[in-house]
Amino acid sequence: MTALLAAVGVCKSFDGFKVLDDVSFAVPERGLTGIVGTNGAGKSTLFAVVSGQLDADGGRVSFADADITGLRPMRRARLGLGRTFQVPREFAHLTVRENFLVAARREYGETLGSVFFGWGRVQREERTLRDRADGWIEFLNLKKVTDKPAGTLSGGQKKLLELGRMLMTEPKCILLDEPFAGVNPVLVEEISTRIRELNNSHGIAFVIIEHHLEALKALVQHLYVMDQGRVIADGEAAAVLAEPRVLEAYMGGVI
Amino acid sequence: MIAYLIAVGIIALIYMLLTIGLNLQYGYTGLINFGVVAFFAIGAYTSALLTLGGWPLVPAFVVAIIVAAIVAYPIGLLSLRLSDDYLAVVTLGFSEVVRLAIQQERWLTHGVQGLPGIPRMFLSLGIGDYAELATLAVLVLCNLAAIGLMLHLVRSPYGRLIQAIRDDEVAVEAIGKDPRRLKVQVFMLGSGLAGLAGAFYAHFITYLSPDQFLPLVTFYVWIAMIIGGTGRTTGAVAGSLILMVFLEGSRFARDWIPSVSEVQMASVRLALVGLALILFTIYRPQGMMGSRR
Ligand SMILES: Nc1ncnc2c1ncn2[C@@H]1O[C@H](COP(=O)(O)OP(=O)(O)OP(=O)(O)O)[C@@H](O)[C@H]1O
Ligand SMILES: [Mg+2]
Repeated sequence: MTALLAAVGVCKSFDGFKVLDDVSFAVPERGLTGIVGTNGAGKSTLFAVVSGQLDADGGRVSFADADITGLRPMRRARLGLGRTFQVPREFAHLTVRENFLVAARREYGETLGSVFFGWGRVQREERTLRDRADGWIEFLNLKKVTDKPAGTLSGGQKKLLELGRMLMTEPKCILLDEPFAGVNPVLVEEISTRIRELNNSHGIAFVIIEHHLEALKALVQHLYVMDQGRVIADGEAAAVLAEPRVLEAYMGGVI
Repeated sequence: MIAYLIAVGIIALIYMLLTIGLNLQYGYTGLINFGVVAFFAIGAYTSALLTLGGWPLVPAFVVAIIVAAIVAYPIGLLSLRLSDDYLAVVTLGFSEVVRLAIQQERWLTHGVQGLPGIPRMFLSLGIGDYAELATLAVLVLCNLAAIGLMLHLVRSPYGRLIQAIRDDEVAVEAIGKDPRRLKVQVFMLGSGLAGLAGAFYAHFITYLSPDQFLPLVTFYVWIAMIIGGTGRTTGAVAGSLILMVFLEGSRFARDWIPSVSEVQMASVRLALVGLALILFTIYRPQGMMGSRR
């Protein structure tokens, strides 16, 4: 089976400092993949290169049988490759529902012509999308804050909002950058459950960066470990985390 | 006195058009346009030159809007390559380039001598003093139309998207939307509105010269927007009215402080406007109508 998302030999330097050094990884269709590594290992940079916020210095990225290296982030997102950010990037002055609606994949309604000459059609489209948005809002337990400006949400709620916004784009694969950071343990369980549901019923593949090893281990099928810009191990989660070099590099021996 | 009030009202409504345009660009989309006056000047000179060349007013106004919007296109494109702060610098520089071009291209603009005898609006109707009142009425209608379109636009999916661009452009790209197309369009729309304001100005003042188009005009528009409440269409309305009260009110202030000369008074007015802005940012940072920014 070919991979849904694959990076081959990706390199990235900042001011001569190698942050990604020949990184390769692959995510199968409907896969749940984890990435762990020490602070500064290059995980978030890898996401930025894969989803196009940063240009790689070398290497290739492919998604759904297409080479997407060099495409603008917008194009990659339209192909169905979504991401969330480690530091949430909510649209602070829009309400939660507006945040969801703005992300909706649509053919119409966001052109000047439609606003002034196709209002009826815009509103029909709006109603459908609103129902969809409200569905996801409920799914992610954000109903209480539906009409609040997103900037006023708590850290954990913003994480959920970013996930929900991605769902509105109807993705095939979502890259989650620390979805459990700053989220209380009960909610960690709940988000895990949601991710599994989305994976099961919607067939969305996930790549998850996390420092919560226990939660991640329980969630993913395949785990990559990064250290100093390199992938130092990968395989089945529990097995990989037990490897001596992983223990040494990642935990300093404490796990 | 009535004539004076009508004149002040006309200027206030011209500023209102400018403020509505800037509010669309900055308040809703986050584009820092420090060159509002350039598009105002382009609209003014376009309409003035066309009517002096024998064109009727209405098509001259339309062309003024279109020319101002078209000139905004390359500037908007340029801004895509640059960060927000650069757009500020580029537009400010551009507005000075426009002013200097008006000064230099004497064959077209008569340079610093200025362009006299621009036809007044409604003169041909032979309604005498009522011509100004009619101008005021048309300006009110234009502002109402602009406000209506703006309110409609910002509540639409399009308006939501431009506000998302203002809040976080990286995130907009990450959800698969193209901020570039909208930024250019918004820049052109706002500039077209400034062009319209310029046309009204030309046919009201009836004399144009480059020194009427100093960056000061741009900053008055910014002040009006900030005082009224950035990112609120009603804020643009309130702000331009308040600005006018300050600018005109400070004229009368001279009666109470007689030792100040006319020239000094110009500086005092500026200082008063500046003071008002400072007080507003301290005591009502969200502007008169509240801000969404
Ligand atoms: N834009 C940038 N300019 C310069 N250096 C950068 C930039 N972005 C990241 N880096 C550097 O790259 C390295 C990897 O950063 P990255 O954010 O990818 O780490 P990470 O694995 O996500 O860490 P964490 O677990 O703390 O989020 C760090 O040393 C960081 O300082
Ligand atoms: Mg990170």
